[in-house]
Amino acid sequence: MQENYMVFAVRNVKLLLRSVWAYLLSSVVLWLSACGSDAQQQMPQTVPDTIYAVSWEEIEKYMRAAPSPAQISLWLRQEKVPFYREALHDPTLASRYRSLKGAANLGIYLTDMAYAHATNNYQVAYEYLTSANRLSQLYGLSDMLSMERIRELDRLQDKPDSLQRLFSTYYAEIQDRLETTGQQALLRHMILGGWVESLHLTLHLQEKAPNKHGLADLIRLQKSLVPLMKKMYAIDTTYSEDSRIIFSHLSAIEAALSKIPDPATDASASTDPQKGLIRLDFEKSAPLSPQISAQLREKLHPLRQYLISV
Amino acid sequence: MKQSLVLLLFTLSISAAHAQSSCAKLIPLCKASFIEDYSWDGRYWRAELYNNEKTEVYYTFFKGLRYRLIPCGSSDEKSPLRMRIYNANHVPLLDTGTQNARPYWDLELSSTQLLIIELYYPAGSGCAALIIGHKASDAIASKE
Repeated sequence: MQENYMVFAVRNVKLLLRSVWAYLLSSVVLWLSACGSDAQQQMPQTVPDTIYAVSWEEIEKYMRAAPSPAQISLWLRQEKVPFYREALHDPTLASRYRSLKGAANLGIYLTDMAYAHATNNYQVAYEYLTSANRLSQLYGLSDMLSMERIRELDRLQDKPDSLQRLFSTYYAEIQDRLETTGQQALLRHMILGGWVESLHLTLHLQEKAPNKHGLADLIRLQKSLVPLMKKMYAIDTTYSEDSRIIFSHLSAIEAALSKIPDPATDASASTDPQKGLIRLDFEKSAPLSPQISAQLREKLHPLRQYLISV
Repeated sequence: MKQSLVLLLFTLSISAAHAQSSCAKLIPLCKASFIEDYSWDGRYWRAELYNNEKTEVYYTFFKGLRYRLIPCGSSDEKSPLRMRIYNANHVPLLDTGTQNARPYWDLELSSTQLLIIELYYPAGSGCAALIIGHKASDAIASKE
């Protein structure tokens, strides 16, 4: 808890400094413009920051739409899904990734770890956490996924709820650290990697058990999620080759998803004011055809390969 | 005149920075007060809302999990922070403004969905934050 407060304290100071800096800067710009055209002519032509055409706050809105590995892990446990080792990424490749690919693979390894944990394969989960630990060292996150912390998670094997809460906290800290240290582009890739891997695992599980409604629901959900993932990458396709490639893969996935009938999104809402509970009951969606799932797998595969290739 | 303008902007910058800073302080406070046994995966949203501004939060909610929505903020008119819940197509599903004010709401869904939660103050300006916790649904946990 104390660590959480410290992270927040750092964030507060940074926000304060950022805000003061922005206002001071605008004050100076206004003052200079008030000085007249002579001063304006003397000012060097500044190059605008064109990496992100929209504000970071706008991107953050979409980045947080996809479920985190922590949430996925709990949900997979609830769904009681079986474990398929062959669906996971190779943990021995961790030391070969760098920069943006490393961030995407951090998301992939954390999701694989979450899946292994959700299916009680703790030894495998440990392997993936170790791979995540290797990658975390690239981004100043080694204290967040230190071997000591991994051992702490390992000790909680027979207490899944405590382990779940602790993993959620660690994931929270990773996100916060990447944001407060200005590594939002890496955070975006980590979220993308986690999302790709969760969809890859869902499609693999659905292929093995086509009648599981929960998995079909999660696949239908992608119709709402993929346009947001595209927005996350649309902003810098002009400047980044990586974003351009990812955006085009996402467009192909969106095209495959367009064949799925629109999911039922109309709901009846009820509340229990005593318990403070809101319940949303959605209409049942039509079953998902195996052909559509196969097409989606076909479109997702190249994006995953792009992210995991060394 | 120019000096006054700079002084005014500087004063504004300090007060805005102070507001943002005090807004940020709300998050650990609200989390500690209301998260209880829910897991929190680090997702929180924070915005300063001026004169009927709203802010939107996009989030995936799973069937089988129960969520705790903790809207957290303070406005200059002391009005409580409200939430409007929309489906992924922006169709309104529920407005907590029609209910008695509560410090948090728990949420369950019959199917996995992307929802949009809009935070707003009925009157005035202030900072607004939302923390979302999750845990296994009681209904499912009791079946096991």
